[in-house]
Amino acid sequence: MAEIVLETKGLTKYYGAKPALDHLDLRVPRGCICGFLGRNGAGKTTAIKLMLGLLAPTAGSASLLGCDSTALTPAIRQRIGYVTEGHRLFRWMTIGRLEEFQKAFFPGQWDSRLFADMIEYFELSKKQKIKHLSNGQRAQVSLALALAPNPELLVMDDPTLGLDAAIRRQFLEGMIELITRQGRTVLFSSHILADVERVADRIVVIDKGVLRADCSLEQFRTSVRKVVVYFENSAPADIELAGLLHFRRSERQLELTLVGVGDAEVADWARQAGAGRFDFVEMNLEDQFIEFTAPAHRRRLFQWEKA
Amino acid sequence: MRFLALLRKELRESLPWLLLAGLLLLGVGLLTVHYEARFAHMRHQHWSSHSGLGPGEVVNTYDLVHSPHLAWVAMWLAFIAPGLGLVLGICHFWVPLFARTWSFLLHRSTSRMSILAAKLAAAILGFLISPGLVWTGLYWYACRSGLLIPEPIQILVAGWIYIVIGLVVYLGTALSALSTARWYTTRIFGLAFAALAAFLILVQWHLGWVFALAVLAIAILFGQTVAAFLSREF
Repeated sequence: MAEIVLETKGLTKYYGAKPALDHLDLRVPRGCICGFLGRNGAGKTTAIKLMLGLLAPTAGSASLLGCDSTALTPAIRQRIGYVTEGHRLFRWMTIGRLEEFQKAFFPGQWDSRLFADMIEYFELSKKQKIKHLSNGQRAQVSLALALAPNPELLVMDDPTLGLDAAIRRQFLEGMIELITRQGRTVLFSSHILADVERVADRIVVIDKGVLRADCSLEQFRTSVRKVVVYFENSAPADIELAGLLHFRRSERQLELTLVGVGDAEVADWARQAGAGRFDFVEMNLEDQFIEFTAPAHRRRLFQWEKA
Repeated sequence: MRFLALLRKELRESLPWLLLAGLLLLGVGLLTVHYEARFAHMRHQHWSSHSGLGPGEVVNTYDLVHSPHLAWVAMWLAFIAPGLGLVLGICHFWVPLFARTWSFLLHRSTSRMSILAAKLAAAILGFLISPGLVWTGLYWYACRSGLLIPEPIQILVAGWIYIVIGLVVYLGTALSALSTARWYTTRIFGLAFAALAAFLILVQWHLGWVFALAVLAIAILFGQTVAAFLSREF
């Protein structure tokens, strides 16, 4: 069994009476590229900051490379690369000066060649000041700074946030090349599933601070599905079906979003509900994610429609 | 190596403000010394011509006792040093909050204490060099250049007291910045305590009391700042 590099046990964080993260249980084995998904405000950044000891948990614990996150030693931090949300770097520094600064914290570990290659790959110059860089360029510098010391564990907090599609693609391609060739463990948060899809072999979905899914990408793909059920008379108002996430109802039609429900179960339910026929709708991963994390008010809206 | 990298960063971020404070003090100091020297010379010439003595034959006792030139510069320092303390405190502790660079800075392969120590060391070094060195240099220049008669050592000490007050204000600003409470509750404590300490130090006449109060204020603010920084969430 692979060594667990990152583990959280009932990790919880409250801001006042409001939970930002609620009992997160997570185990990331060595070599795994884990996409950490959630909508904006789902609790991804809070979780990452708790894991890195930048926030103190209200309850539960997190450990990275076997060390409790509230007591991460300098030696452990040296083994963890961290790309902060928004790529907030020291604006007055040049890329070269920032490299010198970062390098001082990774004695004997810093790969100057790799850093130079990445800067060249991203068409940047070490003489450029951070304040003169675009969001995308700052993201690229952040990635280079995090990867140059060859960390065992790389934690990236929404690295593609605020980047346009072209820059995002360039960033991800650079990232994929560097991550996959070195076989390191990566936790990569995002609210854009397409980004994670290109990189991750496992996804963790949180919603309103609660863990909603922790599975392989393929499992997620096969679990979340949409089915349209057609009725000869009016569609039923009450739906009792285990695994139903939410539904849309029109006069003679029901559109159900289901999770972990097999074909046979759908067929059984359709027969019992008096449906004429049903069709599964093709969904891409982005649609699946959006349906899976649909906010609660949408359900209320449908309930109101139902009434 | 790591500490030096942090110290260099903090000093570089403080540099514009240190330069501004140093140059302002130097400018005011040199202008005052030379301006006052010209006046002293004119008074001396005037006094000498009326007393029948040649230049350099008489020590002008009025100038010796009452010449206010460095005292005037010290007055400027009384504003420059606390102002510098406030600005450096903002620069070291508020700006990373607004710029949201704390996460990047704190994820270093070093202890939080080292990160704080680098900030404090940069502030102390900054105060020692500018305005400390500039002030001492001005005193030395005024005494040794032959432009003016010797200044009482108390003027030099008074200037250094203002510099220590600057450090107190710096720590107070840091403490307020690190507090996560509301302004109308305990967040104001750092700045209010620094202001109170500065006032109490300024109204003392006895050097021993000044020293004791300064040490006490710095110790309290330092302890609180360290505790706040080590336990704060970023």
